[in-house]
Amino acid sequence: MKLPVSQLLAIGAMAAALATPAPWSEHPAAVVCALVAIAGGVLCLRRWPPFMEHMIALSALLIGAAAPLLLLRGQGPFGLQAPGLWLFLAGWTLFLWRRLDALADIPGRGAAALIAPGLFGVALLYLWQVLVVGFAVPQVLLPTPAQVGHVLATRMDILWPDFQQTFLKAVLAGFALGSASGFVVAIVADRIPFLKRGLLPLTNLLSAMPIVGIAPIMVMWFGFDWQSKAAVIVVVTFFPMLVNTLAGLASVDAMQSDLMYSYGSSYLQTLVKLRLPSALPFVFNALKINSTLALIAAIVAEFFGSPILGLGFRISAEVAKLNVDVVWAVIAIAALAGSTFYGLIAAVERASTFWHPSYRT
Amino acid sequence: MTKKTLGLALATLLALGVGGAHAQDKLTLQLKWVTQSQFAGYYVAKDKGFYKDAGLDVTIKAGGPDINPSQVIAGGGADVIVDWMPSALATREKGVPIVNISQVFQRSGMELTCRKDSGVKTPKDFKGRTLGVWFYGNEYPFLSWMDKLGYKTSGDGNSVKVLKQGFNVDPLLQKQADCISTMTYNEYWQLIEAGMKQDQLLVFKYEDQGVATLEDGLYATEKSIADPKMADKLARFIKASMKGWDYAIKHQDEAVKIVLDNDASGAQTKGHQVTQMQEIAKLVEGGKLGYLEPKAYERTVTTLLSGKSDPVINKKPENAWTHKIWDMAQK
Repeated sequence: MKLPVSQLLAIGAMAAALATPAPWSEHPAAVVCALVAIAGGVLCLRRWPPFMEHMIALSALLIGAAAPLLLLRGQGPFGLQAPGLWLFLAGWTLFLWRRLDALADIPGRGAAALIAPGLFGVALLYLWQVLVVGFAVPQVLLPTPAQVGHVLATRMDILWPDFQQTFLKAVLAGFALGSASGFVVAIVADRIPFLKRGLLPLTNLLSAMPIVGIAPIMVMWFGFDWQSKAAVIVVVTFFPMLVNTLAGLASVDAMQSDLMYSYGSSYLQTLVKLRLPSALPFVFNALKINSTLALIAAIVAEFFGSPILGLGFRISAEVAKLNVDVVWAVIAIAALAGSTFYGLIAAVERASTFWHPSYRT
Repeated sequence: MTKKTLGLALATLLALGVGGAHAQDKLTLQLKWVTQSQFAGYYVAKDKGFYKDAGLDVTIKAGGPDINPSQVIAGGGADVIVDWMPSALATREKGVPIVNISQVFQRSGMELTCRKDSGVKTPKDFKGRTLGVWFYGNEYPFLSWMDKLGYKTSGDGNSVKVLKQGFNVDPLLQKQADCISTMTYNEYWQLIEAGMKQDQLLVFKYEDQGVATLEDGLYATEKSIADPKMADKLARFIKASMKGWDYAIKHQDEAVKIVLDNDASGAQTKGHQVTQMQEIAKLVEGGKLGYLEPKAYERTVTTLLSGKSDPVINKKPENAWTHKIWDMAQK
């Protein structure tokens, strides 16, 4: 019989932790939770139907997770003086690891398949919380997820206007304008060969300019408000779109363009019916690149002059006041906005370029 | 062992011993901004050997746009810092235990400079106007003043529009702001050097408006002050620094030359630094050199606490200053 070594190690660690120094005696509830986790671990040594096994393990893990949190509510001392806490956490993490392994095998694309990544994310937040509180990391170095969450819950009065200023005004406007102009110039350059040869090296130079150099100049030209940030985004997103569209237009199969020729189609007909649809995967590639670039450019540009509004302004002002939890809250909002934006573009891409080989898996 | 090896070993030991006897105490000072006449006293003390005479080996770290001295000392990057009191008190409230050990500038050099052609005549005209502030810890006196005048900094109604200006005077030159924050010794003269005439500008000094807060002072951590060896080092540092300031004010041309020699960036010009040194001298003079007047401290604290909507600090600071080191320096 093959022994699940890691599972035994996990159970062993959690059990041994109860005997290792840690404020167990002050928190009987924590001991109960720990025992439940150990019991769950032992039960999982036996084979159960998959669904039952997942439920047993997840409940045991959930209740076991409460043990360190309950311990940390006390006075301390924690850190290296409470090795029992860390031993238990190590055992719990190993148990979780095994469970994530098993959950990752769930096939399909439905909600069930999201459990493993979702759980992984929540577990990371949990470990962050326990480690920071347990080792008494100063708040100015790294706040806890709870503190960041508190800021997100209570300071929406400043964070929502910041988000509107940076994302809804600067990013969307700059992204649309930059991508559209890159697209149009690419079509024109494709038609006029000398433009293509002359423009590409020039725009290559433009794209190499660092944002921190462009931003103050744009502020001087376009003022302090969102327009200068949109201008920076236009400069930054123009080149990826240009290059990708040109590559896309050139990606047409020789046989396909011969076919259009044999039908006697004009330049415009070939462009609209063959070359543009064929360039779509490349265009979406550029749009996805631009979505993240736009957000980064907007936030960095705000460091160089802004009204007292905006995600970048909020980061720079609050970091100077040592309100690091607000900084992390802004980071969380920016990350969420950026991923959602990217996800939306990816969803549209899937709907419109389903025929591309990359989707035939 | 050969005679040669023995001789070499002896020579090394002697050299180490001799070196050991003259070992200077190391100390790191973090300035609030870049190398300029604003910090002439420290550079003069270093170049004229006042620190060396006091047995100190002082490293002066210049500041800049991304450097907040309070954060530097919190991270252990300096032993003593030059900082403004509002920023230091706010940092103290955040849990970093820094304490004022000397107040170098007795007066505030902060002012709001407006274009006369914008139509602003008095602070009552600020409503709806665009005002520039630096932030990075320098916004506290401005926010207190706006609160005192009854203006909000966002939303509609009785509010002013605030810009986070960069460390230059372009917003005023380009009419992007009606008024910008300037220091009497720095940005105001940048405007003049850029071509504006003094009669085109209207200046509101924070001292005149009754909202001035204490600026350049020296701060150290509670731990340093409590340690007798460190406290002695700090006292010697203060004594030599004040000697440097006294010399700088009496020999301004020489002080400017020393500052320019120490400017690693090469960005400063003689003319600008000469004017700056004159203005700085006006701020340092007017009391016992380097002494924190408790009344001035109380005025600053009252100004900072009086902010209704967005107070800089939430409660009265305790033990935020001490005369212990200054008293030790007078001996």
